[in-house]
Amino acid sequence: MTGMQFGIFTVGDVTPDPTTGSAPTEAERIRATVTVARKAEEVGLDVFATGEHHNPPFVPSSPTTLLGFIAAQTERIVLSTSTTLITTNDPVKIAEDFSVLQHLSGGRTDVMLGRGNTGPVYPWFGQDIRQAIPLTVEHYDLLRRLWREEVVDWEGKLRSPLQGFTLAPRPLDGIPPFVWHGSIRTPEVAELAAYYGDGFFANHIFWPASHTRKMVEMYRKRFAHYGHGTPESAVVGLGGQVFMRPNSQDAVREFRPYFDNAPVYGHGPSLEEFTSQTPLTVGSPQQVIDKTLGFREYAGDYQRQLFLLDHAGLPLKTVLEQLDLLGEEVVPVLRKEFAVGRSPEAPAAPTHRSLLRERDERDKRDAKNESG
Amino acid sequence: MTTKITIITGGLREPSSTRMLANRMEAAVRTQLTAAGSTVESSFVELRPLGHAIIDAMFSGFPAEPLEEAFGTVADADGVIAVTPAFNASFSGLFKSFFDVLPEETLSDMPVLMGATGGTERHSLVLEHALRPMFSYLHAIVSSRGVYAATDDFGSQSDGAVLRDRIDAAAADYARLVRGCGPHRRRDAFGEGAAAMEQLLGRDRP
Repeated sequence: MTGMQFGIFTVGDVTPDPTTGSAPTEAERIRATVTVARKAEEVGLDVFATGEHHNPPFVPSSPTTLLGFIAAQTERIVLSTSTTLITTNDPVKIAEDFSVLQHLSGGRTDVMLGRGNTGPVYPWFGQDIRQAIPLTVEHYDLLRRLWREEVVDWEGKLRSPLQGFTLAPRPLDGIPPFVWHGSIRTPEVAELAAYYGDGFFANHIFWPASHTRKMVEMYRKRFAHYGHGTPESAVVGLGGQVFMRPNSQDAVREFRPYFDNAPVYGHGPSLEEFTSQTPLTVGSPQQVIDKTLGFREYAGDYQRQLFLLDHAGLPLKTVLEQLDLLGEEVVPVLRKEFAVGRSPEAPAAPTHRSLLRERDERDKRDAKNESG
Repeated sequence: MTTKITIITGGLREPSSTRMLANRMEAAVRTQLTAAGSTVESSFVELRPLGHAIIDAMFSGFPAEPLEEAFGTVADADGVIAVTPAFNASFSGLFKSFFDVLPEETLSDMPVLMGATGGTERHSLVLEHALRPMFSYLHAIVSSRGVYAATDDFGSQSDGAVLRDRIDAAAADYARLVRGCGPHRRRDAFGEGAAAMEQLLGRDRP
């Protein structure tokens, strides 16, 4: 076992299927997301993460509502986000929502924080986009304290102060959800993750390997600089994007219209250029395995790999077929291959259980030191 | 002292009068800087082969490898010579697009010599009303004298002597500017972003 987690992350876009012109309704899209999450657990994946968006054509504006519903229908899979907006959400509300989700899911909860990349969202939530970075820093400082301190007195520049505030419910077992900081291209986020010794998720789906290498290297170096351990012991996650068919030509033929018309990269680089420049793999399960194993060459031994599967108007049936291939043919091989030659310093992906165990061991050690 | 000059040239045809002007400007600048004791290393960035990559970068948000290399060539320079054809009373769209995707701050404090070509000399102020404001916006240090060359300049009986004088005069100004500015420090937006965050995190903390 590598202690590596494999999962999927969804953007939650309602995009017309370019081959038929028809788009799902919002209700259909939300239901499809739930079906996809349940399927992810069924095929043996470890993580399901949802994005957060507050404008059409996206549906996941209330991630913990969605994740709570999924938690009720699953047993094992870890529920996370990609990302939760630390800038525009109130930290008190984030702390409450994820605390409740932790209790409901039995600790199958973590969170990935990000700044978001949609400027107009800021005023919708009463925030000032010019303060994006200071908001990130201040909100996160408060969020950490809400999860860790019983009674919080807090004062900042961008939010009203708190006096004697106690978060209810307290985090499950007194263990705050593990925090990842997600970034496409912002070095500030890597620095923030390193400062606190949190996880760093490089969403490198739109970004060439050279940039991801630079971001991850910097995060690992700064993680060590801030005294959290060696660079190898930092906690790294990566995004990826795949479309598979048993025969790679079939995959390319079937995916091309979706790629060519995708809202995010359609009408730009060709499918071939994009696959050679970014983590996107369109081909056989073996090609996905080969490319994903290559991520380690520039990111080091890492902890979490999330794939984007359900986007660009792909029909639900196709997405579920992708999950079958991922769960049956790709992830078992990745688990085995990533374990080969893995640095002994590379930690397992943190979970509620592992954090609880670490806390208990630490307490035991401290008690022993005191009595001895 | 080695001085790195990068010449950005936006001509579309082969042979290109824009490239011809760029060659002559480069040669004149090289002569001036060499006479002043510098060793000149010139690199040309032709925009035509990068056309698709430039538009792709606009859509995808990241540059393909050849474009990234071109960005590096510009960022590593101590001075930039930028030459565009004049289209519809402005720079060409391709020329503008290159600067639209060039990473921010690349041209900050960069000595720039402007050049443009056009069918008639009636467009000569394109240097002043299109190129100079853009480069000023990008915080480049734009040399006072640019070079505009019309078709007539290339066809004149005197073998372009008048154009040659204009190029030499502009090159002399520019060489003084480049020498005055000294080696250009490449900006590291990545490191600066991280450093700013470090400072923010450290503030108000025990």
